[in-house]
Amino acid sequence: MRKYLARRAVYAVVTLLGVSLSVFVILRVLPGDPLVAILGVEGHASMKPDDRVRIMADLGLSAPLPVQYVHWLGDIAAGRLGKSFFRGDTVAALIAHRGPISAEIAVLALVISWLVGLPVGILSAFKPNSMPDGLARAMSVLFIAIPGFWLGMLIVLALLFWFGYKAPIIVVHAWQDPWQNFQIVIGPGIVLGLAQGAYIARMSRSCLLEVISEDFVRTARAKGLREMLVVMRHALPNALLPVVTISGVLLGFVLGGSVAVEQAFGVPGLGRALVTAVIERDIIVVQNLVLLYAVIFVAVNVLVDLSYAWLDPRIRYS
Amino acid sequence: MAVRAAEPPVTVVPDAVPRSSLLAELARFSRRNTLAAMGGVVGVLIVIVALAAPLLAPYDPLKTDFRAMNKPPNAHHVLGTDQVGRDTLSRVIYGARTSLFVAFSAVILGTTVGSLWGVACGYLRGRFDLVSQRIMEILQAFPDLILAMAISMAIGTGLQAVIFAIAITRIPFGGRVIRSVALSIREMPYVEAGRASGGSALRIMLLHVLPQCVAPYLVLATTHLGVAIVIEAALGFLGVGVPPPTPTWGNMLADSITALVPPWWLAFFPGLAITVTVLAFNLLGDGIRDTLDPRLSPAFLRLMAGGRRR
Repeated sequence: MRKYLARRAVYAVVTLLGVSLSVFVILRVLPGDPLVAILGVEGHASMKPDDRVRIMADLGLSAPLPVQYVHWLGDIAAGRLGKSFFRGDTVAALIAHRGPISAEIAVLALVISWLVGLPVGILSAFKPNSMPDGLARAMSVLFIAIPGFWLGMLIVLALLFWFGYKAPIIVVHAWQDPWQNFQIVIGPGIVLGLAQGAYIARMSRSCLLEVISEDFVRTARAKGLREMLVVMRHALPNALLPVVTISGVLLGFVLGGSVAVEQAFGVPGLGRALVTAVIERDIIVVQNLVLLYAVIFVAVNVLVDLSYAWLDPRIRYS
Repeated sequence: MAVRAAEPPVTVVPDAVPRSSLLAELARFSRRNTLAAMGGVVGVLIVIVALAAPLLAPYDPLKTDFRAMNKPPNAHHVLGTDQVGRDTLSRVIYGARTSLFVAFSAVILGTTVGSLWGVACGYLRGRFDLVSQRIMEILQAFPDLILAMAISMAIGTGLQAVIFAIAITRIPFGGRVIRSVALSIREMPYVEAGRASGGSALRIMLLHVLPQCVAPYLVLATTHLGVAIVIEAALGFLGVGVPPPTPTWGNMLADSITALVPPWWLAFFPGLAITVTVLAFNLLGDGIRDTLDPRLSPAFLRLMAGGRRR
């Protein structure tokens, strides 16, 4: 187990280094001149040469690229994430302020997806090709296809018409006013949770059906256990493993999807901060936020892998 | 590597049915997969609408009409008009053009590059494979939408930039799925025979391995069309996609919420178009997958969703 942990950790570190390098290449090297990325082609052309030099030095962009990259990594290690080019907020403050909202949304989405997806999947697998199964599958196909941000827009519109809903403008943290905070995060949480839940329902159905056809399930049936017990106690735990895995993978959807869904609900989360930064071409903010999203995604997948090894001895000892 | 060594038993079904006419084949497909066939029909219809946009659209999608602003659906404008009097129906129709063009190009580009890379990985193995796997892992470490946003920001937000950005997010999926197919094919006797008779690696990959990857390639491409459409729409919705005034479904949704009280028809119809299109392509993709290789399905679903295989 220890060896497995070590190997997994090494892979994660290598991946993260690669991730940071690609973020750097995408945002600093690809545009050619970072100031072109920040100001756009016209803005860049209309700038005076000494302004250029000053701004470049200000942003730490005058050093050679490899040096900049190493500096950036060093800064991250020291917890200095730089600051916004346009607003003067530090990126760290931005994350501390907006991050909790997005984190709440992600966790809420995860909880909702399990609460909805798993029972539906089990129900489906109990009687495959029955009416409820057909309905459940139709719903999951539908919810996989509906873009979350559109569903969010429609919900906001409906609330606007009937209840005079107003998009939250300021961040309210759970420790300041739990009820208001809940109102901010519940909408995006439900929308993202349903989409994820659709995948979970689909996945748990197919895994459960796969497991149910195995020998030990036949044995359990043969010794006369009730179908309920057979499925719940014998089949389900074995079918859950891939469902746990897919939750980790789905977090990628939630992280990416929450960017658009937050926009739809007008929720001031980290995703919206990223969109604003991309539109303003605030390169330092974008760079650090994109890295943050990738780090979270990688970290969660490592956790999922570990839980997998913990749940399934066959992997631990292989 | 032992961690992810267990590949799903990917089996490649060579032409399982004796060759009959294309029509008979299609009829058989739709009998077995009614939903997929419906998805296919709807998908083809949407493609036709996109291609024939100039013939079908009742108005010029860019023409503003200040006497008919913010009109709800009526006899002249079946789906209403937007804030500057542009006809929603015409914009949805032209939007299909842009959205489908972006999605098709991005998926074909990304999946093809990924698949060729995957064939090379699976056939050559060794260090090349190891390094490639790490690179694909890195690409998959980013949430799709966020990677696409960053890339399109870096290379400028035009049509090509958006296509390119979405294509890059599709590469690792193609790479991993096709790699696992190539891994199993390289062990087959006829490939060994090719090697024994002195065929170069390139020749064997192109003539013996690649043809077997066509079926999974088709499945991949169809399944990812829906994802690409959603990413394109999300980029447009966030204001970092194909720049306005080009009508795309995402742009239209973004336009609609700029109003204080968004008119429902502006928020509803473009989104409906996205949903119907994605639904159609997803159903078609599922059907093609079930038909081409039923045994691939559960493992495949896992791969589709992000590629942790066990």
